[in-house]
Amino acid sequence: MAKLEHGSDDREDVELEAFRRLYPSEFLQQFLKEGVRPDGRPLGRARSTVLSVGSLPHAEGSAMVKLGNTTMLAGVKLEVMPSPVDSPDEGRIAVEFQMPAICSPLVRPGRQSELEPVIAEQIKNALTSTMMVDLRELIIAPGKAAWMAYLDVYCLDADGSLLDAALLAAAAALADVKLPEIAITDDGKVFPANVVTEKAQTLKGKRLKLGKIPMALTCALHPKHILPDPTAEEEGILKTTITVLTDFSGQLVSLYKPGGEVLASTSIVQSCIALAKYRGKELQKIFTEAIMKADSDDTMDAD
Amino acid sequence: MAQSRVSSYSLESQRVSLARGSSASLISPHGTREDGRTLHECRAAFLQTGAVNAAAGSAYAEFGQTKVIVSVFGPRESKKAQAYSDIGRLNCNVSFATFAGSVRGRAGQGVEEKEYSQMLYKALEGAVTLHTFPKTTVDVFALVLQSGGGDLPVVITCASLALADAGIVMYDLVSAVSLSSFDTKLLLDATLDEENSQDGSLMLACMTSRNEITQLSLSGEWPQGKLSEGLKLCLDACNKLAGLMRIQLRISV
Repeated sequence: MAKLEHGSDDREDVELEAFRRLYPSEFLQQFLKEGVRPDGRPLGRARSTVLSVGSLPHAEGSAMVKLGNTTMLAGVKLEVMPSPVDSPDEGRIAVEFQMPAICSPLVRPGRQSELEPVIAEQIKNALTSTMMVDLRELIIAPGKAAWMAYLDVYCLDADGSLLDAALLAAAAALADVKLPEIAITDDGKVFPANVVTEKAQTLKGKRLKLGKIPMALTCALHPKHILPDPTAEEEGILKTTITVLTDFSGQLVSLYKPGGEVLASTSIVQSCIALAKYRGKELQKIFTEAIMKADSDDTMDAD
Repeated sequence: MAQSRVSSYSLESQRVSLARGSSASLISPHGTREDGRTLHECRAAFLQTGAVNAAAGSAYAEFGQTKVIVSVFGPRESKKAQAYSDIGRLNCNVSFATFAGSVRGRAGQGVEEKEYSQMLYKALEGAVTLHTFPKTTVDVFALVLQSGGGDLPVVITCASLALADAGIVMYDLVSAVSLSSFDTKLLLDATLDEENSQDGSLMLACMTSRNEITQLSLSGEWPQGKLSEGLKLCLDACNKLAGLMRIQLRISV
């Protein structure tokens, strides 16, 4: 008898999956009517977010983010460069966003996804306009040498709201950066502090001073509801999204609404901004806790 | 970027260059290695299936400092440009994250990535029952998150686990192990530091239950006695690794 029941369960599962695939928008509609999302969360809630900092030993700063199933890994690698001619008292940060073929069935190796340059640019703009890292922090010796920071964000699993997860990973990786101890000679040659051969001046290692930290919240628009932090499935069905970028204190940095079917009224835009401000508080807590945990791990290692 | 790079700053690359050519510093007089292992001991391995939700099957493997993630997609429609084939295709691609090594690599297809992709394909080809999915392609994509020595055997092991996770029918799981030679000594499952000063290497991929070798690559000088000893060590390690893989698969089901 038990076996028979089990069999009918299986058939129900298959029918449910078929309904999900054949009538995706009706499927979503059935859930929204009841006030829940297909993954079981309430309408206005973002997915559970896990941030861990300092997981890559080869990078000077790193962070991993899991936003539901969406997974991002960011690493910062530092290189020494001659001071830029146009701005002798600044270093540089280069941002790249990578979607390797492992992250989604839609990406094929060797072919760049359209999203890669778009998201990289959005991260770069957010970091620049919030002044999260003052580029003058990256000087080694004005007019001689400076740090070039390569910030690479890898998407390991793509399940919607990519910018939100990527920006969180990028910001946390930068916050984790510790400039290494180095020595510089009078003519601008830079060495690791422990292999100095000539007369040189030693610079202590330090953490970067951080300005305001940016965050993003993507909202998918349904004619009757606003769904923050959509999954790939929801993004595929609803098509219209608004992405709000703020800093942790709730100040608006930028807002993207790239076309779409649903026209957004002012009140919808304002609701999205309100949701982003609320999300900012959540993320600030997660961010601060992750950085503090990494710091205490560091001091324990030092002991 | 308009600037040219003066020097690529890295403490680790300095350490590697100092170690090169001096195997003595890597093996202590008591016969233990830098990380405390004996010569014929593998690194602690961590395997996990279902690492990537968007893929049909996936696996994450961590062997010491080497960390690899593999996704499997398909069987799905072959590319339009490809000719009709009455057996399935296996498409393998290996890439390295820019922060995988101590010096930042250029993202994209380097020579090493192409070679590894080809080697991965050759190691798995014999294990997958290609005739069970005619006209279609199974994609095996690997990303090396951190390169810490023995990257290719870890990729092969992880890929075969991901194929099993995706439900692709195989004759047997493929497990792979590398071995480094230092004069008369043989070191199993070498780290990056050890690989940089080895004088010969051996990589073995095999299907242990069928007692079949799918891939064997040798470099350096291998006299007969040493080779048979090396093969025995590798086969034994592959057997143990296959056991670990089976345990992981049983847990995940």
